[in-house]
Amino acid sequence: MSLSEIKLNAPAVVKEINIIDKKIKFRLMELGLNVGTKILVKNRSIMKRTLLVVFNSSCFTLKENLARDIVVNYA
Amino acid sequence: MHKILIIGNPNVGKSTLFNSLTKSSEHTGNFHGVTVEEKHKIVNFQNEEYDFYDLPGMYSLNSFSFEEEVARKFALDMKADRIVLIDANSIRKNLYLCLQFLEMNIDFKILINNYDYFKKYKNNLDIEKLSNKLNVCCEIINAKKIKIKDFALKNSEKSYHFVNFQKNSLIFDSYLSKYIKIIKNKYNLDEKTIIYALNGIFDNLSEEQINYIQSFYPELILDRYNYIDNILKDSVSIQKNFVYGLNRADRIILKPIVATLGFLFCFFASVYLIFFLIGPKISEGLNLIIYFIFINPFMNFLYSVTSNVWLIEFFSNGVFSSILTVISFLPQILLLFIFLTILEDSGLVSRMAYVFDDFLSIFGLNGKAIYIMLLGLGCNTVSSLATRNMNEKNLRIKTILLNPYISCIARLPIYVIIASAFFGERAYFVVTGLYLLGLFVALIVGFVLNKTILKSNSNTLLLEFPPLRAIDFKHMLVVGRDNAIDTAKRIFFIVLGVGVIVWVLSHTAFDLSYTAIITDSILFYFADKISFLFAPIGLDSAGIVSGLIVGIMAKELLVSTFSISNNVTTISGLISSICVATNVIHFNTASAVSFLVFTLLYCPCVSNLAVIKKEIGRFWMWFAVISQFSIAYLLSFVIYNTFIHNIFYSLIVLFAIVLILISIIYIIKKIRTKKIVCMFCSKNCNKKNNK
Repeated sequence: MSLSEIKLNAPAVVKEINIIDKKIKFRLMELGLNVGTKILVKNRSIMKRTLLVVFNSSCFTLKENLARDIVVNYA
Repeated sequence: MHKILIIGNPNVGKSTLFNSLTKSSEHTGNFHGVTVEEKHKIVNFQNEEYDFYDLPGMYSLNSFSFEEEVARKFALDMKADRIVLIDANSIRKNLYLCLQFLEMNIDFKILINNYDYFKKYKNNLDIEKLSNKLNVCCEIINAKKIKIKDFALKNSEKSYHFVNFQKNSLIFDSYLSKYIKIIKNKYNLDEKTIIYALNGIFDNLSEEQINYIQSFYPELILDRYNYIDNILKDSVSIQKNFVYGLNRADRIILKPIVATLGFLFCFFASVYLIFFLIGPKISEGLNLIIYFIFINPFMNFLYSVTSNVWLIEFFSNGVFSSILTVISFLPQILLLFIFLTILEDSGLVSRMAYVFDDFLSIFGLNGKAIYIMLLGLGCNTVSSLATRNMNEKNLRIKTILLNPYISCIARLPIYVIIASAFFGERAYFVVTGLYLLGLFVALIVGFVLNKTILKSNSNTLLLEFPPLRAIDFKHMLVVGRDNAIDTAKRIFFIVLGVGVIVWVLSHTAFDLSYTAIITDSILFYFADKISFLFAPIGLDSAGIVSGLIVGIMAKELLVSTFSISNNVTTISGLISSICVATNVIHFNTASAVSFLVFTLLYCPCVSNLAVIKKEIGRFWMWFAVISQFSIAYLLSFVIYNTFIHNIFYSLIVLFAIVLILISIIYIIKKIRTKKIVCMFCSKNCNKKNNK
């Protein structure tokens, strides 16, 4: 299941990060989004193009097109 | 001299620490990417000189945007002591950058900020254990309260350099050596080059080597975090569900409808309060104070010592009128900056960036553009520089090009004066309408650019949310005061300097003698020669044209030029004078609206043009000038002719102009296509289109 499909406030665990753009992928990993990281979608914007996600004890905005490339399982 | 670099992740309080240590008031904000270039200041304490550098924030040495590139360059290349400031609340993420410095054998000291917030949520940190485990000197500080005295004392007691530093043996043994070994076997590179490449610095490496080394990044990043977790295991305990950045209020604030309506209400209410309710009253008071304390005594003195008409006219109308009319707006400027500081310091800007990201992405922008636009309300030049925190080139060019459409503070005096003169109590709606028109045009231009020459390859908004914070009133007033002082200085040097030149040119005849009849002056002679160009938009008066020319230097000059031309020294005098047809500068309702729209859009000021050229190049600077002038002219044309004739007349003429322009472009394209020789038959057969 991709991160963009996960329910709000349902904790999930990252299984794979399939983002093609290396620069963005590495930056997300450097911010603490790695395989095995617990992640939580806190909010979706009005057109659902941007998500508000929590990982590594911090809160980040993440575009939906990137969230689609992150494979997660419910924790 | 001690050179000290303040390094760290974005929004950990680097600029706050810099301000506390150097007693400066550099721009700070509860938002990612407030500092976009290095700042430094030398402080003397007990015969020692400390040169502090405040660097833009960076999450890692593997730079992601232009500002991170600047910070990395300074952090690695400069011979200085390094402070890595980290936020206790996101210590795990912040230590990632520290680990990279350790890998590269770079000395530094860690200062931990925001510890009070961390403790408030029952988290714990053992500073001694953390220092020992990291092998780096760590200290807890309060960036807001630290003084150079405490800093210098600590500096003498504890070295900046590692306690018993050994060549990163822990990190080497833990994970780094395995990568070095594998890469060395494949490419026979030296150890330093490999370590630098593992941290995103590729000097003299081939594309193949870079790709190979980057293939280890995912595993390496995981190893780094495992190493950090090992360190934190014994020294830090964090509550299970602790999330830094989200507050309870966010449940309401982040609801799109609440956020949009709330922001619009706050914005329009602030404009009304600042420019129409409170501001004018303070302005009147300030005007009276300046008049009775400075101008009146000075003019009385002048009358007593000379009867030279030129000299008296020069001071009363040249110097004082240009300054007084613009300085009257200082209270409004101060209030607007306070409003912007509240938005920045509270953490609301990040929320707005998130909420408006969807809407802005329709026009090829992203949420960060909200911050740029808000800064643009103050000064377009500053906000053009702030685009450095954008990581995509086309997105950055687009944002810089749209920025001048947002009404800066310099344009406000002219809006208020003309709107008050022709619309009385409805002036508020006219000024608000101008703000909205600027925003609307910016979005439409953004949409067109995004669909044509500046398509964004990727639209990523990766923004860390800061927690909402209570407003620090002292800081708010300091920022407001400093901005008002900066504006006053600008008014003094630009408006006075250019205002005096305008006065001299408008009171000097061709034989270089003084003339009281402005229409006989040099300035009006030249303005009159080109004023026919502005006849279709109702601005064919030489006085207005000279104002528009001077306004390109700085928009504040419009008001001072008008007051010089009409021989008035007060705002109320200027408001009533522009309605009188016998005055040099006068409008009717149609030309007034046309002028307001034209002023809103016609050209960025000289300082903004210089920044545009520096940041994105000469081509885009000229693109900004030509496109803005064309859009301003066309819109003013439609509005003026709608007033004079009717909307159908102006639309038909506009349609005809656009049709002629399209036909010309089409014919030029056809001619150019015919001239291209076909690659198959070497003749002008136009087959190239079929390929």
